[in-house]
Amino acid sequence: MYGGGNVFEAMKATALAEEDPKELAKFEARIDRGEKIEPKDWMPQLYRKQLIRMIEQHAHSEIIGALPEGTWITRAPGFKRKLALMAKVQDEVGHAQLLYSAAETLGKPREQMLDDLVTGKSKYSNIFNYPAFTWADSCFISWLVDAGAIVNQVANSKGSYGPYCRALERICAEESFHLKYGHHCVIHLATGTKKQQEMMQAAVNRWWAPMMHFFGPSDKISVHSDILMRWKVKMASNDECRQQFLDMYVPKIWELGLTLPDENLHKNLETGMWEFTEPDWEEFKRVINGDGPCNKERLAVRRMAEERGRWVRKALLAPKTKYVAPLA
Amino acid sequence: MTLKSLDPRVKRLGIPEEWDTPLSPKETLDQFENYEAFIQVKEGKALEHVGPVHAPNEEMAFLFAKEQYSRRGMFCNALCVVKTENIIGTEFSDNGISIYDAVTAQPSGIENQSYEVFHLLKRGKQHKYVGTVMAKDFEDALVVAKHTYPSQKPVFNVWIAESEHILTSNEEDKDMWETLKEKQYREAIDYKGQDRIKAYKERMGQA
Repeated sequence: MYGGGNVFEAMKATALAEEDPKELAKFEARIDRGEKIEPKDWMPQLYRKQLIRMIEQHAHSEIIGALPEGTWITRAPGFKRKLALMAKVQDEVGHAQLLYSAAETLGKPREQMLDDLVTGKSKYSNIFNYPAFTWADSCFISWLVDAGAIVNQVANSKGSYGPYCRALERICAEESFHLKYGHHCVIHLATGTKKQQEMMQAAVNRWWAPMMHFFGPSDKISVHSDILMRWKVKMASNDECRQQFLDMYVPKIWELGLTLPDENLHKNLETGMWEFTEPDWEEFKRVINGDGPCNKERLAVRRMAEERGRWVRKALLAPKTKYVAPLA
Repeated sequence: MTLKSLDPRVKRLGIPEEWDTPLSPKETLDQFENYEAFIQVKEGKALEHVGPVHAPNEEMAFLFAKEQYSRRGMFCNALCVVKTENIIGTEFSDNGISIYDAVTAQPSGIENQSYEVFHLLKRGKQHKYVGTVMAKDFEDALVVAKHTYPSQKPVFNVWIAESEHILTSNEEDKDMWETLKEKQYREAIDYKGQDRIKAYKERMGQA
């Protein structure tokens, strides 16, 4: 699962001028023909850099995203829910594996990516810096955070980089289980006893603001995003993704008798666009930069896993091994 | 001070709130070497590349690949893994040109080594297994493959590996794929909620 609002690297005006114009033209022609770029192909430095960054953030989001839900495996109500949640969390970690490999084909070793996660150098989806207080929070994540991620991932799976697209196709297929499972959980609470309904409503109230942040701030068309769109790195704007999410899921939330904590939220029937109170982007920035309720815990748990597992990995490593990046 | 958390498991771990030292960077290969995994979804179909896994040895790579690429959905009939280092790939061609067009040499006639050959028929798709060739070395294997497995469609990329470097599931171990049928809870189709929504709406309508 992953949100928009990718943090792309600032681009120097000269970045493209330094590229070989003939190769660049060939590369762009290939993308225009709808062909995928494969690891051994020539590509502009900027394309490589932005893709590494994007895929890496996506991979980090998968493993960090497993933490707030993983919390609830042992306390999920009943055997079936435990089984399903465990399978879902396993999927998320599996997605991280696929994505790290896709990023590796671009030249950044996995070891370095994992280091950059723990040191805070690279980011992950901001929404996972919030805690899952109750079982209902976990249900909200499974259904709606995954739904948001699917909107993003389906768009990205039509991008231009072969290994990322292949990983995303596999991921999207698995996400459909997450979505249905999450919806199932929310339906049960929302149509259940009064206490269950209240618990679900409280979770919705807690998660709505982070959910609106999920797709990132509105990205006005700039030269920068223009190039990323032309190269099919970025496939849809943050606003487009947010609108699509609202259009698909707000009616499904309302039909369960749940309310959303924004009195301005409605669909403008003339424009066909959803209108809402502008999310608090100052809070968004504050949390991304480390000051959220769970940033510290997420990275501490990650670091602990790295350090306490190190001897096992060391014991298993065969001598005389050399590093080769994955092929595709 | 230990880290405060809502998660009882995290609380039990007693993680310090602040570390005294920065994390020492990972050493090279802390995450092990790469293997490429291939799966046959159905009897009679070609083995197809599904993706890489990191593992400390071949057997572990096989196990990880089974968990990563066959845990649900599509039925898996066979699986094989090859260390990435042991696969030699050609360059990629594009725009309808076959990579074999650039191969002009003739087979050496020396057939002392067995190689397995994989083709990529569309950019963005997966490499598929085409067959075995006997040749002198990798370059020769590419030449022999061009003559042995001519393709109607352009081949954009070829992978070749020595046969002995491939670890494949055994035919007699086939029952290891049987577990997939018990894992319906991993499938979207197992989660139907419309009846409950309908009942809820009716109840609300009456109230």
